[in-house]
Amino acid sequence: MAVQTQKLPYGIGRISGGWLLALLVALVFTVFGGYAYAQQLIYGEVVTGMRDIGTMAGAPWGLYIAFVVYFEGVSFAGIAVAALIRLLDLDHLKPIARMAQVMTVIALILGGLGVIADVGKPGRAFINLLKYARPGSPFFGTLTIAILGFLFGALVYLYLDGRRDAALLAKVPGKFQGFYRWWAAGYQDTPEARERHERASFWLALAIIPLLVVAHSTLGFVFGLQVGRPGWFGTLQAPGFLAMAGVSGLGHLIVLAAILRKVYGLEEQIDIAVFRWLSNLLLIFTAVYVYFMVVEWLTSVYSANTAEAQLLNALLRGEYAWIFWLSVVSLLIPLVLLIGQFATGKYRIGWLVFSGVLVNVAAIGKRFLVVVPSQTHGSLMPYVIGSYSPTWVEIGVVLGLMGLGALLFMLFAKVFPIMEVEEV
Amino acid sequence: MSLSRRDFLKVSGVTGGALVAASRLLRLETLTAAGAESLQVEEKYIPTTCWIGKQDCGMLARVVNGRVVKLEGHPANPRNNGTLCPKGVGQIMSFYDPNRVKTPLIRTNAKGVPGEWRKASWDEALSLVAKKMNAAREKGGSKFVWQKGRSKAKKFYDKAFVAASGAFKLHHGAFCSDAGYRALEYTLGLHAVLHPDFKYTRYLLCWGWNVTNAGGNKFCWLTWPQKLVEAKERGMKMVAIDPRQRSAAHFADEWVPIKPGTDLALALALCNQLIANDTIDREYLTKYTNAPFLVGPDGLFLRAEPEGEEEAGAPLVWDTVSGAAVPYTAEGIQPALEGEYTVGGQRVKTAFELFKAHVAEYTPEMAAEVCGIEAAQIERMAREIGENAMIGSTITLDGHTMPYRPVGIMAYHMAQQELGFQAVRAMVMVMMLIGSIGAVGGQFSDFTWKEYKNWAKFEHLKVQDETNLYLKDSKFFPINSNNSSVVAHVINNLSEYGLDDEVVPDVVILHHVNPLGSFPDRNENFEAYKKIGFVAAIDPWISRTADYFADVILPAATIEKYEGPISASDFYTDAETLRIPPMDPLFDSKGDIDIYIDLCEAAGILYGEDGYIAQINKQLKLEGEYALPLDQKPEVRDIFDRYARSKGLEGGIEFFEKNGVNIKGPASVSKVYPYAMEEPFAGILPHRFYGESLLVAQNDMKAAGADEIYWRDYTPFPTWRELTAAQSPAEYDLNLISYHMIEFKQSRTPVPLLIEMAPKVFVEINPATARAKGIADGDEVWVESHNAITGETRKIKAVARYREGIRPDTVAMPHHYGEYVKHPWVKGQGPSPNELFFTGEGYVAQTADQTYLVRVKVTKA
Amino acid sequence: MARYGMVIDLDKCTGCRACMVACKVENNTPQGHFWMYVFRFEEGEYPNTRTWFMPRPCMHCDNAPCVKVCPVGARYKRLDGLTATDFDRCIGCRYCEVACPYGVNYFNWKKPEGNYYLDWDDPDLAEIVGDEKVVYANPDLDKAYGPEKRRIAGGGQAKGVMEKCTFCVHRLEKGLQPACAAICPTQAIKFGDLDDPESEVSQLLREKPHFRLLEEAGTSPRVFYIGQHAPNPSVRQIEEITVKV
Ligand SMILES: Nc1nc2c(c(=O)[nH]1)N[C@H]1C(S)=C(S)[C@@H](COP(=O)(O)OP(=O)(O)OC[C@H]3O[C@@H](n4cnc5c(=O)[nH]c(N)nc54)[C@H](O)[C@@H]3O)O[C@H]1N2
Ligand SMILES: Nc1nc2c(c(=O)[nH]1)N[C@H]1C(S)=C(S)[C@@H](COP(=O)(O)OP(=O)(O)OC[C@H]3O[C@@H](n4cnc5c(=O)[nH]c(N)nc54)[C@H](O)[C@@H]3O)O[C@H]1N2
Ligand code: SF4
Ligand code: SF4
Ligand code: SF4
Ligand code: SF4
Ligand code: SF4
Ligand SMILES: [Mo]
Repeated sequence: MAVQTQKLPYGIGRISGGWLLALLVALVFTVFGGYAYAQQLIYGEVVTGMRDIGTMAGAPWGLYIAFVVYFEGVSFAGIAVAALIRLLDLDHLKPIARMAQVMTVIALILGGLGVIADVGKPGRAFINLLKYARPGSPFFGTLTIAILGFLFGALVYLYLDGRRDAALLAKVPGKFQGFYRWWAAGYQDTPEARERHERASFWLALAIIPLLVVAHSTLGFVFGLQVGRPGWFGTLQAPGFLAMAGVSGLGHLIVLAAILRKVYGLEEQIDIAVFRWLSNLLLIFTAVYVYFMVVEWLTSVYSANTAEAQLLNALLRGEYAWIFWLSVVSLLIPLVLLIGQFATGKYRIGWLVFSGVLVNVAAIGKRFLVVVPSQTHGSLMPYVIGSYSPTWVEIGVVLGLMGLGALLFMLFAKVFPIMEVEEV
Repeated sequence: MSLSRRDFLKVSGVTGGALVAASRLLRLETLTAAGAESLQVEEKYIPTTCWIGKQDCGMLARVVNGRVVKLEGHPANPRNNGTLCPKGVGQIMSFYDPNRVKTPLIRTNAKGVPGEWRKASWDEALSLVAKKMNAAREKGGSKFVWQKGRSKAKKFYDKAFVAASGAFKLHHGAFCSDAGYRALEYTLGLHAVLHPDFKYTRYLLCWGWNVTNAGGNKFCWLTWPQKLVEAKERGMKMVAIDPRQRSAAHFADEWVPIKPGTDLALALALCNQLIANDTIDREYLTKYTNAPFLVGPDGLFLRAEPEGEEEAGAPLVWDTVSGAAVPYTAEGIQPALEGEYTVGGQRVKTAFELFKAHVAEYTPEMAAEVCGIEAAQIERMAREIGENAMIGSTITLDGHTMPYRPVGIMAYHMAQQELGFQAVRAMVMVMMLIGSIGAVGGQFSDFTWKEYKNWAKFEHLKVQDETNLYLKDSKFFPINSNNSSVVAHVINNLSEYGLDDEVVPDVVILHHVNPLGSFPDRNENFEAYKKIGFVAAIDPWISRTADYFADVILPAATIEKYEGPISASDFYTDAETLRIPPMDPLFDSKGDIDIYIDLCEAAGILYGEDGYIAQINKQLKLEGEYALPLDQKPEVRDIFDRYARSKGLEGGIEFFEKNGVNIKGPASVSKVYPYAMEEPFAGILPHRFYGESLLVAQNDMKAAGADEIYWRDYTPFPTWRELTAAQSPAEYDLNLISYHMIEFKQSRTPVPLLIEMAPKVFVEINPATARAKGIADGDEVWVESHNAITGETRKIKAVARYREGIRPDTVAMPHHYGEYVKHPWVKGQGPSPNELFFTGEGYVAQTADQTYLVRVKVTKA
Repeated sequence: MARYGMVIDLDKCTGCRACMVACKVENNTPQGHFWMYVFRFEEGEYPNTRTWFMPRPCMHCDNAPCVKVCPVGARYKRLDGLTATDFDRCIGCRYCEVACPYGVNYFNWKKPEGNYYLDWDDPDLAEIVGDEKVVYANPDLDKAYGPEKRRIAGGGQAKGVMEKCTFCVHRLEKGLQPACAAICPTQAIKFGDLDDPESEVSQLLREKPHFRLLEEAGTSPRVFYIGQHAPNPSVRQIEEITVKV
């Protein structure tokens, strides 16, 4: 056993018990999700809690769409942070750039799968969405720009950005060598190449920011352009979506960074400065979002026509009040914590993670509240008030998607450095 | 399914058929190129009639490859003009219903609990029924009972069976509208309730008519709303008198939310006001009614000396020409309508004078108090009635100059109340005062002015000791509506009515009736059926009654049978139709007529002079060459073929099979308007304004020792008294009424398409009332009823529904629910209000009619 | 070319819901689907109460939000004014449904063939009616319609696709009135060519005041109402139907 093996960084290729266990858990979730989805495929979406608007007093969009929006939101912040790091040359944040990119890609995949889970004819959807694409539909924006286009962009970005690391890793013999060589695609870590690489990723980063804004705005338009649904139609829908995307994505990133820091013992690379920066950015986004929320609130309280009032009532003290207030509290506590940290200058990773988790609870809650109540309580026609609660199938599929996300992340982390490699 | 290539579409020659055919053929060309597969259809339209409702609307059954795929309205049928109600369309599901009784069934478990059954052959089932039936027939009396509910089409085959078998007959009328029928028979001699002349009416009192859901006089539903909408377009004004607004008020210009059961007081107050306003038609009252008859202090008419054989002489009137009392039949007299006169030394008044005195106390204020409405509303109505009646005006139609009194009443099932008979009489009296009876635009009731047999009979009401199961001609109910719940009550309390076991039936055939579902009092009926030896039901479904008590069920076909003849008249057009089977009877079911023929054959009463066939000939007036041979088992189609030929229709039954309906043309003026007749009102004169024979009956009842509760309403003029229900303790603070819903026809619509739209029973309650009791919209509540006579209480659970359009002191329940029929879609519908109503003294009218009013308390469950 | 529209006279409507049942039978729509729905309303307080009824088909909007949002063009406008759904193209995203302010869309949440009220597979019945998924199956519904030759008629087409009122396109092509209009006992529903000034619908609109539902939403419905008024917040629905599949 005298073979000289150089260890790959960040535990690539090494399988620990903990990792296996985590993988197993993620796998169980994924398989469960698959099973739930199979039920839906066989029996139709009658196994979900969704039903028609009107005489069925239901909501035809439910948990799936809420999570499509949520996943897309998460994806937003990942690539945004990565791009900002590149654009603003935030060198000390480099360590989290890769994980942010991966997070984006995975979240987008989950979002895409969420759409597939939602549609009634998934097989046909693949073909028809491309074959008969109607750019006039905001859904086109969601699927084509926000998911497919954006996924493509994110993948390209991840790929290009990873070429240098791949080239470095390709030098190390091992079973992934071929893969790294393919990824590196002839890239040599020469200064010129590095220079070229830097420039390319700078422009890519620059390009991706507006794409990002457009994509997430169209997502807002999916709702914001619908005159017929109180609570949806509005100009704040798009910026609001953007802000919330930032909040959830940053929260996610904080949690991810903290986990990886712990698992890989990266206390040095991902130091408190990284978290300070993330914390402040999250503070800004949260504050902006809370501002939007309050404005929207006040507008509807004041202008409230009956439909809007009915909706608001359901949110503030009706059926959805617990989700609403849970979300508000889950935003306000982090806001206070973040302000506190900013004011005192003392940043505590524990609190930050706590905030990151909370804002994601809020994000999920708010996504749900955007999607569902306008359907059940937002009818301009005098139908009876509707109701929606997800069934185990929907919850299963969503958990499955989350499991799949974790699975993909863990697998990625086992084949590619989750942080930019300094030197081998 | 046969896949033989039959490319051409056979569209039978019905209206619209040609058009359909043409466009179909055109498409044939264009589509053959694309792919001819879908064209392997054989399509035809078979004319038939609705089998659900009682007016048998004309239908076209679209039949594709031998399968009926849709029922549409027959465009030529005057009753429905190409349209249908939801039941008409929805019934397509009922004949395909796999939950039908598919073969004859024989019970295998004890009675009184839901049944268990074994399949049997028709032979076995029929010979069992025939054997039991013959044994009971031998004993006579009411040992063999034949009971039928609200049926459809002409009842010829029913009557033939009753005649051939000597069955004791029970029917549904006492639960439907018989109190009103009796009132009209008594007052005008016609067998019907009340409807207006929609073509000319200007002012309609929609008096407990559930326009948007049900009925009205004569028809099932559809024809009336069509006429109403036309009349409204013409500018007719309508007032809805109903505790609930959901009935008709969509079309009403005014809603009078009357307290249930108090209509009599309102009608008399209207009379009071019409007299006060002097808007009365003296000519009609004087010429055509007994209002000018002189009434002695004993309340009886003064009469001339009897001539010859006659029992009593003609009643006297005061002749203003001669200044003397003369028989009303005398020539050349001018009777006084009003006044007090001295005849034979005694002071006597005209009946009308008495009436004026009688209604004097029924001031708008008094009635407003009783009816829970506003006096001003009553005054306004009376004024508008008077104005719109245009008393004295005439109109000339088709050369006949006739009175024009464009005011009328539509009422039907609301007649079923404690004072029903007298309330409807009072309502008719309103119309009599303005002379609207039979006038153009005025008050109608039947399609033709034809004297009904009860007109003469009611002149001398029999109060005798000898009676029968339904207390016919007894001291209890001299006018009698054959109420099967009273029958049940009697069976359960024989000695109280001076009867014994002799009258309790051994065998009952239930045909097209579901007493345990439809008839209050459910408990009373249940107990009575327990005492009956053998029950056979002829029904397409296992009705609630059959489920608990039938020994044998014979599966009747639904629409897939010949039935008829059926009048297709809409009052203004004469027409006739038949029910034609659009396909063969499904499963092992049979048409009702086939069943009777087979049953009579098994019982040995089919052939011969008094046999079933002979009775059919008699009922359908099949004579000579058209008569069915008495020794040959008839085909049902042949019966109708002979009938059609006997009516001079070429092609016989084929005429109907092809055209569906035989339009005879507009009803003649002299048929519709009695004033145009040779003998006005077909000679049914004088109309009984004053009910002398009621008073005679009262005296006789007293003499026979009847309790006051029986005789108190036998008064010559309708007289208000407090209702029995109102004597329940104050905690029973709400009036419960029931009504029909457009989605259902009694219990005979276990049609999922309809049940889906109205799945569960509910109680309509005014929000103010409900809130005061802490009941929210949609809450489950207990509804507990109280019998003011016996003190018995009953309760059911249902869902409360807020309705601003109902009186705060009243709650209402639709009556079609309560698992009437054993069917998966009927499960879990919730209870029927019939569990809450009572029968027996205080809850049946003086004519033995069932009431649908009881005091209840409603509490949150 | 004719440009169809519907005029519903609320002064004539009895709220009988025959149109709802006729639509179901004609179009074979599955259990729980009401392409035509008749609202029953009550407004005001006792005794100043009013009761009235309002049938609601698809509005076949000229500026149809449902058409705009369909990502695959399955929901489309025809030249004759109909808003159609191509069952072979629809991916079942339900975007049209959330975009429609009128609540007229019905999604096939389950396999339609198992969703027709009764057990049509009953062996005794099968002997008589064969293996139709619904015993009253209308043979006209499976065909392609219009110059565009797309399958747009009838309901219960497939699991996972969207359906709604078609204005009975298969009947129009035969020169027949839509099933709901044909059945209406009081002829409260009128259907015809709004471009033809002589048509009954055009005349009615000239003669009588009318409104459209949610006019302010800018959808330009092709369904017009005569009589009564647009439902406002003081109107309460009674006898509502809320069946789920
Ligand atoms: N509480 C309350 N009760 C009421 C009423 C109310 O308003 N309130 N309304 C009353 C009125 S008006 C009436 S008329 C009665 C009616 O009472 P019923 O005449 O008893 O009416 P249904 O309930 O329809 O019962 C008819 C039975 O006949 C069967 N049937 C249906 N079609 C056929 C057929 O073609 N052939 C045969 N052989 N059988 C058939 C059905 O399955 C059913 O079991 O109900 C009364 N009951
Ligand atoms: N859809 C449908 N149509 C039917 C039937 C059916 O079952 N379904 N049944 C048919 C038969 S058999 C019949 S008899 C007819 C019945 O036809 P209708 O007589 O029109 O029908 P009901 O629903 O019994 O209507 C009774 C009305 O009287 C009101 N009412 C109750 N109590 C009182 C009262 O004391 N005073 C006044 N003024 N009003 C009162 C009720 O609120 C209700 O609106 O319908 C026929 N048509
Ligand atoms: S109104 Fe009566 S007879 Fe006419 S279709 Fe309806 S249920 Fe049948
Ligand atoms: S069928 Fe006619 S009357 Fe009946 S609800 Fe429909 S539109 Fe109204
Ligand atoms: S009513 Fe709704 S489904 Fe119909 S055309 Fe308008 S937006 Fe589309
Ligand atoms: S459900 Fe079908 S018709 Fe509706 S928007 Fe989606 S693809 Fe278009
Ligand atoms: S037009 Fe046809 S599809 Fe539309 S509601 Fe009427 S019957 Fe149904
Ligand atoms: Mo009846």
